[in-house]
Amino acid sequence: MSRPIKVVMAKLGLDIHWRGAVAVSRMLRDEGMEVVYLGNQFPEQIVNAAVQEGADVVGLSTLGGNHNSLGPKVVELLRKKGLEDILVLMGGVIPPEDIPALKEKGIAAVFGPESKIVDIASFIRGKVS
Amino acid sequence: MTKEKQKLFDQKVVEQLGTKKERWHEETLKGKVGDKKYYTESGIPIDILYSPSDIKDLDFQKDIGFPGEAPYTRGVYPNMYRGRLFTVRQLAGFGAPEDCNQRIKYLLDNGATGVNIVFDLPTVRGYNSDDPEAEGNVGACGVAIDSLEDMETLFNSIPIDEISSSVVTHMPSTTVVLLAMYMVMAGKRGIALEKLSGTNQNDFLMETVVGSAPEILPPKASFRLQCDAIEYASKHLPRWNAVSYNGYNLREAGTSAVQEVAVGIANAIATAEELISRGNSVDDFAKRMSFFWDLCNDFFEEIAKCRASRIVFQEVMRDRFQAKNPKSQMMRFHVQTSGITLTAVEPLNNIARSSIQGLAAILGGAQSLHIDSYDEAYSAPTEEAALVSLRTQQILQAETNVVNTVDPLAGSYYVENLTREMAQRIRDYIEEIERKGGLVAVTESGWLHREISDFAYKQQKAIENGEQKIVGVNHFPAEKKKAAEIEVFRYPETAVRQTEKLARLRKKRDQAKLDKALGNLREKCLSDENIMPYVKEAVLALATLGEIEEIFREEFGLWQFPLA
Amino acid sequence: MVALGRALKEVENQTPLGYEIIKHTVTKKGNAHVVGVTGPPGVGKSTLTGKLCRFWADMGLSVGVICVDPTSPFKGGALLGDRIRMQELAKLPNVFIKSLATRGNVGGIAASTGDIVQVMDAFGKDIIIVETVGVGQVEFDVMDVADTVVLVTVPGLGDTIQTLKAGIMEVAAVYVVNQADRPGADESVSDLQMMIEESAASTWKPSVLKTVAIDNDGTEQLLDEVERHKEYLKETCLWVGNRRERNIKQLFKVIQNSFKQQLNEYIETNGELQKLVSQVGEGKLDPHSAAEDIIANLIRKTPLGGN
Repeated sequence: MSRPIKVVMAKLGLDIHWRGAVAVSRMLRDEGMEVVYLGNQFPEQIVNAAVQEGADVVGLSTLGGNHNSLGPKVVELLRKKGLEDILVLMGGVIPPEDIPALKEKGIAAVFGPESKIVDIASFIRGKVS
Repeated sequence: MTKEKQKLFDQKVVEQLGTKKERWHEETLKGKVGDKKYYTESGIPIDILYSPSDIKDLDFQKDIGFPGEAPYTRGVYPNMYRGRLFTVRQLAGFGAPEDCNQRIKYLLDNGATGVNIVFDLPTVRGYNSDDPEAEGNVGACGVAIDSLEDMETLFNSIPIDEISSSVVTHMPSTTVVLLAMYMVMAGKRGIALEKLSGTNQNDFLMETVVGSAPEILPPKASFRLQCDAIEYASKHLPRWNAVSYNGYNLREAGTSAVQEVAVGIANAIATAEELISRGNSVDDFAKRMSFFWDLCNDFFEEIAKCRASRIVFQEVMRDRFQAKNPKSQMMRFHVQTSGITLTAVEPLNNIARSSIQGLAAILGGAQSLHIDSYDEAYSAPTEEAALVSLRTQQILQAETNVVNTVDPLAGSYYVENLTREMAQRIRDYIEEIERKGGLVAVTESGWLHREISDFAYKQQKAIENGEQKIVGVNHFPAEKKKAAEIEVFRYPETAVRQTEKLARLRKKRDQAKLDKALGNLREKCLSDENIMPYVKEAVLALATLGEIEEIFREEFGLWQFPLA
Repeated sequence: MVALGRALKEVENQTPLGYEIIKHTVTKKGNAHVVGVTGPPGVGKSTLTGKLCRFWADMGLSVGVICVDPTSPFKGGALLGDRIRMQELAKLPNVFIKSLATRGNVGGIAASTGDIVQVMDAFGKDIIIVETVGVGQVEFDVMDVADTVVLVTVPGLGDTIQTLKAGIMEVAAVYVVNQADRPGADESVSDLQMMIEESAASTWKPSVLKTVAIDNDGTEQLLDEVERHKEYLKETCLWVGNRRERNIKQLFKVIQNSFKQQLNEYIETNGELQKLVSQVGEGKLDPHSAAEDIIANLIRKTPLGGN
């Protein structure tokens, strides 16, 4: 794709730690993407932002243990609005055993704390075109 | 103390040694060392060898001294761990208050000497468990507290007049509510306020810089509540530390060791200025200021940091605020080993990391210590992992002999040199913050966030390009990038139970009394009065945490920090 | 909201569908009051925009916000961080926020900004706020899309004042000294007032306001002043006149951009011309002669009225 990929990045719900989300946002910018950083938001507001911003990708960061309930909710709300083409990714501290269920519910990929940015970026490029 | 500088070494001897070191460099070392430069984690160059010339200007009395005496380089107590071992303060917090109460008892039964409570995110961020915003987080990474009754359950049959409690309240608005609940709970048990011993966190940076949240009070408002709690405690809770300046979470968010300490002390400076302007004397409150440091992997730098932080705090309190009481000049701090250095791959490696960090805390003279559990990269610690942490502390205390002499690294050319260097860099950074208008101003402007973001970004890049090595991740990467089987701790039923309790609570409250209390509280938000008595009144009328916080949000307004 | 979001995505990305949307919305625009908020980075534009937006939204108006941030010149990406400052607006159904990166466009706005304003306008927004970074003299293109420009500065920012002295006083309808609780606010205000006195080019005399956006101080006065400017535009018929000028200016901009793009494509795909390019590269041919040849070739290929 010749135009930049647009990513909406959010901290999920009440989750506190922002360094990971902001560092990833800055590094995706270095990878040539346009990143709208929302700070902390709940699924409804994240989905509204994705709609308004014309996002290609929604990135959700969480270390607080709310991934199982709030992550899939974002996917569900996007589908309700007919926006299933938006790629939803999660990152942060997520127990490996929870990942299959998240994927089943429409989360395209889960990136743990030791993921490399180039891998995240190339995953996105592979999916968005 | 002598006025004249009394150098550690005869200056002539030092000079000769300097020449000898040069000779050693050229003759003996020559060719056996590459050009690569080494730096501490906060960027201080590391020499291959230190010798007396690196500490030639030191004056023993003035710069190092004896423990329990100014400048407190060697520790705030004369006997240090021979007098009292550092408090073994393992975090406990998950589920409903009744679950957590059991865990506290378990840790105390196994030799913990203090209580250290963490709260779940809805509590920390000021929402009730039945609030839609709390979904998915109730009881997850801490205990859920919604009302006075929950606080009573949490501490049920825990001897709070005998042991000290640390309540990790994060931000000031939660602190004022949870501290009020703690005081009212004690009162109902017939325990006098003078007997309550412990610490709460209460750091406005936790709300406005370190953490992010959907709804944040503006820095000025958050700072005012922070000062209210400290001022109130200085008058009513003589054994309570109403603030623990939280360098820890700042460091985890992304700062160097220098920035961590400098910002903590800058907050103490801002607090002192505010409280003095309210008519308090520095000796009323400074003796109860406490700090919270993060010990990461750079072993010597972390030890030097602990020592340097005591030196700088003492200078600030003595010279700037003219504190007379020696206790006002003593920096006491709690240490938690670093969470950010833990890895999810090969989690048992984390036990080694935490042990070394814990050892640094002891050599740095910490007052209390929490050692992270090896599974913290995933979840709140399981019982087994919590026990390993506790045992690590006990091994350090009982088997290694490191606690039996005070400040054993004093006089080490390297550690003393690094201590001076750290202290100077801490002073410089404090000065930079003040030049930019002080800590509240650099928070409002987003400067501090930018500093954190830049550091975190650079660190992440250094990890990705291999400059910063992490064993199992980018250095000797684990064969299989699969984490060991860790039992993940979950308490999904907490939300249900807390919701039921809230429903019962709302039915049985005296509505008129509650309305009056909340009305009073609302009125006082924008006044100059200390908020604490009004929060206590509301708590006693069984106002929930969420109701009180909502009043704060409405009256103070909301704020978001500028993204760097 | 979903329809507008989708439409704007196409327009932002300048897709063929996007051009169709622009074609079909051109006659439906004209009602929204477009307010530009500009100034150097870090002066609190987003906070101020958020507060203004809140007032209008609370009045029941439908508000569109466009935040433009620069694209990184090195990697072509951007970090769009204005939206987070307007988080308290996130739950309001009548506020629509769109963040844009400049994508290599100079002038402080994205090439698609004007089109996005048009589509928002056509979708019934009452107010559209365009927030841009404006520092140097070349970065005030927000004038080309906004009816009312608010220029924000803070105490002690001598650079802004210098820029203004350089002769672009006509930019703003309202000047704001934000963070006015800081020392030097009154000096900044009087500096600005003096310059306004000196320029006095039109019948509208811009006022200089002091705000502390973070505390919501002075923001209501700013709102009144922006409204007063709108009344002035309507009364003097400049509302229509300025838009006419802007539309025509937009036409020439589009021509230039499109021409540049087609020119580049043409040269890149034409083997003959590529030879000239590489001769220039090797220093065998001077750029003036090569340019003359290339332009002559191009004009011959695309005469007015088609081939």
